[in-house]
Amino acid sequence: MKQFGKILNFELKNYIKNKAFVGVTILLVVIIAVVMFFPRITSLFESGDSVDVTDDLPVLLVKAEDPAQAEMVQQTFAAAFIDYDVQVTDKDTAYIKDQITSGNAEGAFVMTGPTSYTYYVNNLSMYDANEAIANEVLQQIYQINAMIGSGMTPEQAGEVMNIQITSDVEMLGKDQMQNFFYTYIMIFALYMVILLYGQMVAMNVATEKSSRAMEVLITSAKPTSMMFGKVLASCIAGLAQLIAIFGSALLFFNLNKEYWGGNEIVDSIFNIPPELFGYMLVFFLLGFLIYAFLYGAIASTVSKLEDINTAVQPVTFLFLFGFMVVIFSMTSGTVDNLLMKICSYIPFTSPMAMFTRVAMSTVPWHEIAISIGILAGTTVGIGFLAAKIYRTGVLLYGTAPKIGAIIKAVWRA
Amino acid sequence: MILELKNIEKSFGEKKVLTGVSFKAEGGKAFGLLGRNGAGKTTSIRILMDVFPANSGEVLMDGKPIDYRKVGIGYLPEERGLYPKKTIIDQLTYFAELKGMSHKAAIKSVDYWLERLGMMEYRNKRLDTLSKGNQQKIQLVTALAHDPDIVILDEPFSGLDPVNAMLLKDVVKEQISKGKIVLFSSHQMSYIEEFCDSIAILNAGKVALHGDLHDIKRDYPRDRLVVRTEYPEQIQTDFGASCKVMENGALLIQLSSPEEKKAVMTRLVEHYDIDEVKVFEPSLNDIFVEYAGDAAAEG
Repeated sequence: MKQFGKILNFELKNYIKNKAFVGVTILLVVIIAVVMFFPRITSLFESGDSVDVTDDLPVLLVKAEDPAQAEMVQQTFAAAFIDYDVQVTDKDTAYIKDQITSGNAEGAFVMTGPTSYTYYVNNLSMYDANEAIANEVLQQIYQINAMIGSGMTPEQAGEVMNIQITSDVEMLGKDQMQNFFYTYIMIFALYMVILLYGQMVAMNVATEKSSRAMEVLITSAKPTSMMFGKVLASCIAGLAQLIAIFGSALLFFNLNKEYWGGNEIVDSIFNIPPELFGYMLVFFLLGFLIYAFLYGAIASTVSKLEDINTAVQPVTFLFLFGFMVVIFSMTSGTVDNLLMKICSYIPFTSPMAMFTRVAMSTVPWHEIAISIGILAGTTVGIGFLAAKIYRTGVLLYGTAPKIGAIIKAVWRA
Repeated sequence: MILELKNIEKSFGEKKVLTGVSFKAEGGKAFGLLGRNGAGKTTSIRILMDVFPANSGEVLMDGKPIDYRKVGIGYLPEERGLYPKKTIIDQLTYFAELKGMSHKAAIKSVDYWLERLGMMEYRNKRLDTLSKGNQQKIQLVTALAHDPDIVILDEPFSGLDPVNAMLLKDVVKEQISKGKIVLFSSHQMSYIEEFCDSIAILNAGKVALHGDLHDIKRDYPRDRLVVRTEYPEQIQTDFGASCKVMENGALLIQLSSPEEKKAVMTRLVEHYDIDEVKVFEPSLNDIFVEYAGDAAAEG
């Protein structure tokens, strides 16, 4: 136990003295500060008078054979496309195309009938909604005209078209829109930290082995102390970094709350239920440990530093698989699908899968308890197994042994 | 203090590495563990240090199974290496603390050894800024700083210049005089011969020879004479086939029996102009080649 303390202390100091580690942490905190203070800073530069920016709006051209139709389309489009300067043109198609390709106009609607048109645009962006807006507007014009034609006054027709529906939502479970963002951020943080620190542990073990410091270490300390000391040190360092980043984000947000003006996404990110932090901590710790042990054990079998990446690949893929399942389920809105349910009990995927389900859905407490129980048990088991592999692995030099050979060696040891 | 390995057997997978290895090393004396590459020296040392267990056999200290919590072991491995990017003082105290010392005691002891080995000026430097020989001296501190009862030195002299070799010799002698068990492993026979009172020669995982070096040498039949002379021709002619020229130019005369020794010596002194005549004792090198060479391995 005393030895374990010494190793933990030594390894922790390595992180604290590591300039890259400290530098990256400070850099991230600074970036978060800049982002969080951004609305406050921009508000300093904004004067009270609103500037007329119509001149800068991109131009949208409208053309119709019938001048009356052209005027009506221009008026309704001007109301619908508030980010554009809608202008009527009577020039031919070649001119319009030229205007668009030269960048003078962003797009053009050439009407070929009351309900048909050609939309000219240079690069159709992924999020171009102009066509949909135009369709809706033209549909409304057609419907209003039809209603007027059948004897309604334009006011009546307008009322029918603009009827307002009132509704209330009473949520019994969780609002997936609201918690999507913070869950995403937390999962991503989990992903980054586990991958980064896991590889740091691997590097650390392999460096000791390749520099032959291991020859003295292995005769000075128990492999279990070495393994647990190293992994826990990196876990504490990772947690400290996370707390620094999330803590500063929370602090800076609260300092600038009024300037964010109730931005829904930002608000939802900082309205994480406290108990979720508890789950985050549990799943983070266990997930971190289980992967760090695996990374450490595998690195101990590698003789040359350049072989680490290939050696740890299977573990990285396993981890990536879990991450992918979670991200796809989150974006598709079905966090309780069968695959997610299975993954929330498999110890290598449960830290992310179960956490996501807890955050975005309603999971009975006993399911969470079982998942954490399996994960905790496996983590301890993997820890001791890793120490065994480590003891066998660090003394093997030469080409990296096959997994089967390691298992055999560990079995015999 | 007597350290004893008794009937140690060890296999890695299908490969048998040690077969019934037994030897004894006493406190206040140096013990030489010899053998060719792959003979099982490092494996024996690792079992002795409890890095991994033997398949069977015992490691005893004064007749009782060794208690690693009580018996301190210092080890200078053949494969040298520490943390290249760490300062000397940081890593040396770390290693001493791992061996059970308090932080204060570790610093005190490390400072003592740095001073003793003339390395004080590098105390706060990074290891990779030092020359190879100096790194080796730093590594020696990891083996000695925690004042162990057993000191295991694997090829301690390789890479040291004559001045540093002398310094190391003094340190080793001091450790021996403190009553510690000093276990040497080396291919440099001259050093083993200089320090070690007893040896064990391992060959293909078995102890081929074990015992007191003087006794071993004495046990060789005393039926050969070494003669140094300025005029070897006459002796060569007179003794014929039983007289050979050794590598160093001296003559080696084979007697038909050890009893003949006195008569032949008298004859040599009386009839020839000789500088020296003595009974031939094999060097450790000769013994090693005999017990660990290819011929021995095949036998």
